[in-house]
Amino acid sequence: MAAPVFARLSPLAIIALLLAGLGLGVTLLKAVRDQVPLLPELTTSVWTVEARIGFEGTGGSSKVEFLLPPPVSMTRAIDEHFVSRGYGLSILEADGRPRKATWTLRRTPRSQQGLYYQVKVVDDEVATLASVPPFPPVPDYQEPLGSAIQSVLSRARAQSADVFSFTEQTLLILADGDDENVKVIRNQDGRPSWEHRVAEILAGARIPTRIAYGLPLDRPQVDARLIPWLEVHNGESWQGYDAATGTPGYPPGFFIWRYDSPDLLSARGVRNVQLGFSTTQTRVPQMDVTELTGAAFRTQPLGLDLTRLPVSVQNLYQVALMLPLGALVVAFMRVVVGVPTFGTFMPILIALAFRETQLAWGLALFLTLVLVGLSLRLMLTQLRLLLVPRLAAILVVVVCLMLAITVLSDRLGLEQGLSIALFPMVILTMTIERMSIVWDERGFGATFKETLGSLVVAICGYFVMKEPHLSHLMFYFPELLLVVLAVTLMLGAYSGYRLTELVRFSALARAR
Amino acid sequence: MASNWLGRWSALRRGGVLGINARNRNFVMRYNPRSKYPLVDDKLTTKRLAIEAGLAVPELYGVVRFQGELTHLDRLLNGRDSFVIKPAHGSGGDGVLVITDRRRGLFVKGDGRALTLREIEYFVSNILSGVHSLGGIPDAAMIEYRVRPSRLFESISYRGVPDIRLLIFRGIPVMAMVRLPTRASDGKANLHQGAVGVGIALATGITHHGVVRDAKIDDHPDFGTPLTGHLIPDWEALLAVGARCADLTGLGYCGVDLVIDEDLGPMMLEVNARPGLAIQIANQYGLEQRLRGIEAMTQLPRDIRERIALAEELDAASQPAPAALLPGGAGVAPRHER
Repeated sequence: MAAPVFARLSPLAIIALLLAGLGLGVTLLKAVRDQVPLLPELTTSVWTVEARIGFEGTGGSSKVEFLLPPPVSMTRAIDEHFVSRGYGLSILEADGRPRKATWTLRRTPRSQQGLYYQVKVVDDEVATLASVPPFPPVPDYQEPLGSAIQSVLSRARAQSADVFSFTEQTLLILADGDDENVKVIRNQDGRPSWEHRVAEILAGARIPTRIAYGLPLDRPQVDARLIPWLEVHNGESWQGYDAATGTPGYPPGFFIWRYDSPDLLSARGVRNVQLGFSTTQTRVPQMDVTELTGAAFRTQPLGLDLTRLPVSVQNLYQVALMLPLGALVVAFMRVVVGVPTFGTFMPILIALAFRETQLAWGLALFLTLVLVGLSLRLMLTQLRLLLVPRLAAILVVVVCLMLAITVLSDRLGLEQGLSIALFPMVILTMTIERMSIVWDERGFGATFKETLGSLVVAICGYFVMKEPHLSHLMFYFPELLLVVLAVTLMLGAYSGYRLTELVRFSALARAR
Repeated sequence: MASNWLGRWSALRRGGVLGINARNRNFVMRYNPRSKYPLVDDKLTTKRLAIEAGLAVPELYGVVRFQGELTHLDRLLNGRDSFVIKPAHGSGGDGVLVITDRRRGLFVKGDGRALTLREIEYFVSNILSGVHSLGGIPDAAMIEYRVRPSRLFESISYRGVPDIRLLIFRGIPVMAMVRLPTRASDGKANLHQGAVGVGIALATGITHHGVVRDAKIDDHPDFGTPLTGHLIPDWEALLAVGARCADLTGLGYCGVDLVIDEDLGPMMLEVNARPGLAIQIANQYGLEQRLRGIEAMTQLPRDIRERIALAEELDAASQPAPAALLPGGAGVAPRHER
């Protein structure tokens, strides 16, 4: 059926397809790549990482200093807060250096004390600091360790092409516990962890390494410690390695807290200091995460992110972006359905007012205003006023009526009546004037029909414009305006029957 | 339900019924250059063009353009017992005031109601303010000769003047109807006000089928007299006037409204750049096929006579059952030699 109607529209169809494709493309890009949610109720998982510092006071003044995660890790954080009842808290921020939280208390009770730091972290890629390290000096190995390391390194060198593959080979060789050289290396003590041992071995090949201390975020943990993780620099970037197996990468969701040292605390005037971490997973609206991390922002310049605008402007666009949808509804109702309305865009402006007043109240207020206004207008006919002063007079009457309704509903305690001030006064005035002319010329029937048509379109527009999913889509994906434009263009080229014409020409349909 | 609508849709498509969207997109927008619109939107311009071309139009008594001129209205109307006041930019017959008589200083409207001069001034003032014009732009009021309806419509017309609508496409008349005032339409020949539209067979000038408010009827709603079988006098002359009007406006797709004055014969009232579609119901025939047929013709005759002949030929070829002349009575014999 549609084929003959749209058969000759190819250039227009192409334009419309391009517009719709562009709009949908950017929308999908934002939705898939930047995880801007298509539905407002979508949630995402967020890890809450909690550090608990437990200690006992000595009765005197105390001071606890605690290193917070580095800025690079905080790019994954959407929220943080401190729980420390009674303690003075200051956070020291130094450029480029990790932040430090300092709790102080004049008289610390001798009982068990607890200080908490919570940070909410998005399940995202591991973020690690991109600093460029110097080449480390070759360590002074003792024998027989030195020759064992040298033989491992030379074997690895023979089997590798660059820093990363060299590291991998070294780690693979070191993972083989049956190897004689490895046995020698493993038997040596005195290093805090295997990662440190590996770092020392790699330094023999002048490969820069560092140890990142952090928490894996894959399962909820209680009273966990930071785990060390090996990172290797190839001259360009850092790469994490599982020192035990040689697999490149990090533990799932690894949240790095400090480099090169697991020490986060320094305390004075307290005893039995303990530090424990616990992690737990919660679900939060994806919208919050998107706004806080500014994911939509990344799509620029292609994508528009309205959440970066001042809030007052945002509110304006919340409404303004729905207007094209309202216009689309009007175009559809007029061109495809064939509903008669007063004025072209009067119905959407009424629908906008309905959005604020709620439908039932909006309808009641609108009908009251129009009925009273219309009867006054019909009385004005007797006075034979010139057109523009007459319109001005109706405007005054409309404003008076609105004022009266507002004051009355205020007295009666009807809150909804107050929202009448949101009706577009000038549009109401023009509507009343046009209604009275239609009334004069075509009688009650035509006036009723057009009023009903306008209201039907306004109600449809209201339901479309207040739909929260649509307003979410339009606000976070303004690119969809291109799709709206494409649909409007296609509507403009629609040359099929209007639904009302099927009724109108029914005598002709029956004849054949 | 849905299949019912679809069935109706395809029935209309098969019948070649033209819808508003298709009319606007495929004919009005394609064949009516925007620059020609002022010629027909302003009835004063249309009238001037017609006079220059030697076509008969109702005589213009005067024009009121400014509110200040209202004081001279009585002088303008002096000595005129009957006249018509209408907006120069009106549409659909809105804002037309017909005065048929003067009695004791009062003006008698077509429906018998009497108006004072002040009421007429107010009416004119409204026209000047642009109440009836498209977009509410300030307008001028025309005062012109009131057409005396031809007696031959007496039995099928309630007061007012019936007018004949010719639909002209690329200079060829494609469909015609006569619009008869009814009580419901307040003596006005406007279909949307309740006037009866009666289709006319182009080939013969004989009326057939009637339509009122989009429904088919056979008898006049006020008199019960049959609407079919009347012969419009001077039919070919009317067609020729219509075709010439279309020529001088330069519109490819237009409706020409003609009246037949009892004394002065056929006159052009106005030309419409967006003629309505009810003419299809009055003729019980879809427009699309004929329009497409003419659209497909590369060479169209330029001579008026040939064009009329082509129109009649197309009509005779497509109209399934040519309407028969009413036996005896209401039909009026042609005055001229055919």
